[in-house]
Amino acid sequence: MGALFRSEELCLVQIFLQSGSAYNCVSELGELGVVEFRDLNPHVNSFQRKFVNEVRRCEEMEKTFTFLEQQISSSLCCPVSETLSIPSPVPSAPQPRDLLAIEEESERLATELKQVSENRDSLRSQLTQLQQYRGVLIQTHSLIDSQAQPPPPASLDTSLLDNGPEAHLSFVAGVVHPWKVPAFERLLWRACRGYFIIEFQEMEKNPNVLETSDMTQWTVFLISFWGKTIGQKVKKICDCFHANTFFYPENTEERQELQKGLQSRIEDITQVLFQTESYLQQLLCRCVSILPQWKVCVMKCKAVHSILNMCSASVTDKCLIAEAWCPVRKLLLLQSALTEGTRRSGSIVDSFYNRLPLSSSSSPPTLFTTNSFTAVFQSLVDAYGVAKYGEVNPAAYTIVTFPFLFAVMFGDVGHGLLMVIAALWMILQNKDNKNTHFKNEMWRTVLAGRYLILSMGLFSVYTGAIYNHCFSRTLSIFPSSWHLRPMNWSDDTLRGSRFLCLDPNTTGVFRGPYPLGIDPIWHLASNHLTFLNSYKMKMSIIIGVLHMTFGICISYFNYSHSQQWFHVLLVLIPELLFMLGLFGYLVFLIIYKWLAFGPGQSDRAPSILLHFINMVLFTDNKETPPLYPGQRQVQSVLMVVVLTSVPVLLLGRPIYLYYHHTRRHGQCATTEHPTITDTSSINTLLGDLEGGRREQEEQEEFDAVEVFMHQAIHTMEYCLGCISNTASYLRLWALSLAHAQLSDVLWMMVMRTSLSSRGMLGSVVLAGFFSFFALLTVSILLVMEGLSASLHTLRLHWVEFQSKFYSGTGYKFSPFSFTSITNPL
Amino acid sequence: MTNTLSFNIDHGYLEGLVRGMKAGILTQQDYNNLAQCDTLEDMKLHLQCSDYGNLLSSAEDLTVSVVDSKLRENLVAEFNCLRSNALPLLSTFLDYITYSYMIDNVVLLITGALKQRDVAELLPRCHPLGAFDQMAAVGIARTPTELYSTILVDTPLAQFFQDAVSECNLDEMEAEILRNKLYKAYLESFHSFCQNIGGATKDIMCPILEFEADRRAFIITVNSFGTDLSAADRSALYPTCGKLHPEGLQQLGKADDHQQVKAVAHCYPDYKTVFDDPEPGSEYKTLEDRFFEQEVKLNTLAFLQQFHFGVFYSYIKLKEQESRNIVWIAECVTQRQKSKINNYIPIFH
Repeated sequence: MGALFRSEELCLVQIFLQSGSAYNCVSELGELGVVEFRDLNPHVNSFQRKFVNEVRRCEEMEKTFTFLEQQISSSLCCPVSETLSIPSPVPSAPQPRDLLAIEEESERLATELKQVSENRDSLRSQLTQLQQYRGVLIQTHSLIDSQAQPPPPASLDTSLLDNGPEAHLSFVAGVVHPWKVPAFERLLWRACRGYFIIEFQEMEKNPNVLETSDMTQWTVFLISFWGKTIGQKVKKICDCFHANTFFYPENTEERQELQKGLQSRIEDITQVLFQTESYLQQLLCRCVSILPQWKVCVMKCKAVHSILNMCSASVTDKCLIAEAWCPVRKLLLLQSALTEGTRRSGSIVDSFYNRLPLSSSSSPPTLFTTNSFTAVFQSLVDAYGVAKYGEVNPAAYTIVTFPFLFAVMFGDVGHGLLMVIAALWMILQNKDNKNTHFKNEMWRTVLAGRYLILSMGLFSVYTGAIYNHCFSRTLSIFPSSWHLRPMNWSDDTLRGSRFLCLDPNTTGVFRGPYPLGIDPIWHLASNHLTFLNSYKMKMSIIIGVLHMTFGICISYFNYSHSQQWFHVLLVLIPELLFMLGLFGYLVFLIIYKWLAFGPGQSDRAPSILLHFINMVLFTDNKETPPLYPGQRQVQSVLMVVVLTSVPVLLLGRPIYLYYHHTRRHGQCATTEHPTITDTSSINTLLGDLEGGRREQEEQEEFDAVEVFMHQAIHTMEYCLGCISNTASYLRLWALSLAHAQLSDVLWMMVMRTSLSSRGMLGSVVLAGFFSFFALLTVSILLVMEGLSASLHTLRLHWVEFQSKFYSGTGYKFSPFSFTSITNPL
Repeated sequence: MTNTLSFNIDHGYLEGLVRGMKAGILTQQDYNNLAQCDTLEDMKLHLQCSDYGNLLSSAEDLTVSVVDSKLRENLVAEFNCLRSNALPLLSTFLDYITYSYMIDNVVLLITGALKQRDVAELLPRCHPLGAFDQMAAVGIARTPTELYSTILVDTPLAQFFQDAVSECNLDEMEAEILRNKLYKAYLESFHSFCQNIGGATKDIMCPILEFEADRRAFIITVNSFGTDLSAADRSALYPTCGKLHPEGLQQLGKADDHQQVKAVAHCYPDYKTVFDDPEPGSEYKTLEDRFFEQEVKLNTLAFLQQFHFGVFYSYIKLKEQESRNIVWIAECVTQRQKSKINNYIPIFH
């Protein structure tokens, strides 16, 4: 509770890092994760900073690592999914010579890998080319064979028609990508005007082809044509379609000779390729074993240097000066980290820190130490806004109020128990393995809220017991306190009439209240809803007014923390009077009426609504008898108090501030400007000195209009808000009514029909219907209604409760820590 | 189709994507930082903080041309991602964007072939957005007719060739004329395509394309001074879908010096500013730069409306401008011309 009530005490420390040991000190701090560094040179571009070369070096190395990783994922045979995870134990940030070793080693590995893989790729492409060539020879053989008859006459003709070497029939053979075949053929046809013969054939799949990245089934083509000009065109077109063309001998013997030669070369290359491949695998395995270590090392080194970039150098250049936020109770840890860092780097001069006074210009970050139970409540508040440093944290109260308000809307013993069971299961699931084997993000979110769900479930069981609801049925733990016998109804009356009225005024019919919650007999009554509505409505108002009044009271701690006592008098007290005078009195009326009017006087019970309206309008209606003697006087006094509190709230603070300002200004005029002596922070050393002074002057420049406007807006918002927010709490009633009715409908429509069937068939039907009922209960009543109820609860907290005291304009303390860098999840 | 109700069914994802990518366009702050750099390495460091991420970090030794090609690669990758996810109509629209690059590529290859350059040397210089299968074979054509009937007839450019077919031999001048004819047909076709889509796409795209058409008309006129292009030939090259059509184009056809062009522009408030004399005190900007400025202005407007295709076109154009800006800054940085470094065209102020 203490840790959650307000932010932990933080202080600004100035750390003097000796240049020899700065690196080690910061790396020690990174392991601990206790300080948040401030950027001392925000106006310096990232490439003009001191350690930019080191950062660049790390980036270069990361680039090499990415290359290695790519190689591993593309070329390594065995699966590596688990081997590339974060190593344990996690290595610490490397010393400069270690870093050098890593750099050299990784670069050597990368160049070697690059060479080998290039080698392999060129071998592979050679191999495919040879295989293509061979394929072309084999395939075209059959093509030529199929038109083998023409050659003899053709040779005759050519001898006859031989009028130049161009008229010679020539061949171009090659392979082309199958997708391009139609366009290729068309373009050839157009360009050569049809003076050629082309044949296509799909290449046979070679079983010996190695598993390579490109597994396309090439198409073999053979073009036969006459003439040189066409030949040039054909060549060009082949080039443009990236078709591989091969030298094509014209007679069969040569072709067969060539084919044999190719075969032997293919075998040789396959051999070499195999050797290369195995060497590559060796290299990759070495990579896999060492790469994770290197990655973490370099990541840490880079993080340390980027922190060092945020420091400013001292005048003598012997040490670096860093400024950081540190929780006060961790200052000792900080000291020990600095000593350890100095020791590890073997430096003689100590690095040390120096606590700076808090300046008004920069407010510290906010830190709440949470555990797994409170973390989820804190995150509910943080989603609205992180508390300002020193502001009261609503999370502490949210732990109780959130599940409670939720349960008011979700009251049902059965549903609550189901929720508790689900939450307990999640808690047990999460006990042994820390959230790791659930990869689904949605599921992780639900899992993070397991304690929230548990407490919501427990509270729902409680409110369900009060409402006497369990899966829309009642629990008759105790006998009902209403009794039939004293009514003395005859059997005929009982049998003849549908509705009978139990009169509590008859002695013996109503024997005192039910021990816990609502009497189960109400469930049978025809005016069940009327009764429950009136009860739940009043209960919502009471809870709402209590909740909001509590919020206003908490603002006292904010004012007292910042020593603004006039706020208590001029803001807090009028606000409280306004709230209590109107709605506090309404709550009083409700409770008074409950206590004062028993069943005997129920016919004379006055309407609170009318009384309340009369009070606000200052009218005295003769028809409504007073609730208690002297009611009119009390109400008049209350209304006067309420109405006077509004102008106090509206004008009090601005007038006080104005008065205060003019008085201080009068004093200042007589004395000189106080010179700024507090220049211990680096930030205020040079440029910001003037800034600071300007700021001070600005502060003294008092803008009365602005203060007044702000207060006017606040007053209006508050006064109207009180009314609308109170009405807003009626959602408690509305949602609990909806939940009860929905579960009632589900019972009536599904379970009751199936329970009315009998015999063997009945049990089968029951089983079927029950599964349907269970499914709907979980999906609609638990999940959907639960989500909607928690949304409404969230709204009640953010808007109605927190608006009374919480500004939420701070920022979170985010310490420099290696763990958050190396595993960002 | 222009129904804004059903737009998101087909194109909502891509519009969201492109709007997200638009958020990554460099801001004035980024440019200020880039302009302070002393070396390309510094620029690389800066660009790492932007949406470009590690784009440049894989480059070994950085030169301006490497930067340029990396930026282009990035743009092409983004475009291809959009194109491969696009459904009909949007896919046609995106194809239309690529046609202008195709035209440039064809003309580049023709002029290259005229100068006896090797195709392999020319291909890397072609814009990858306008790549097509038959590209390398462009060099074998000798007349526009042959070019059309053998090579381009299978490409999407065929539809723009109806007016451009002529029998005369291709020379450099003819290639330039061919480019302008193709562009004219392309712009008119794109314009009517956008008009047929209607709705917000029409409202956004038509002004942009009209501006593009008018810009070409102005540039053709200005560039034709001192060449042997006759006024009648010149008029045939003007795209007719712009705001200048028809009176402005007629007058432009008659113009024969810069002053007369300026007089024509003065009749149109949009172009008046472009041709106005620079205010004393401000730095001199070329006509091209001013047109670019105007174009950027028009393209940024596209993001003010939803449920239309204009954002895709505008994104590509703005990104191109951004690449030009970065390359300009990189040039200035390497050549130590700090005084001119601020001559880039800021995109979102």
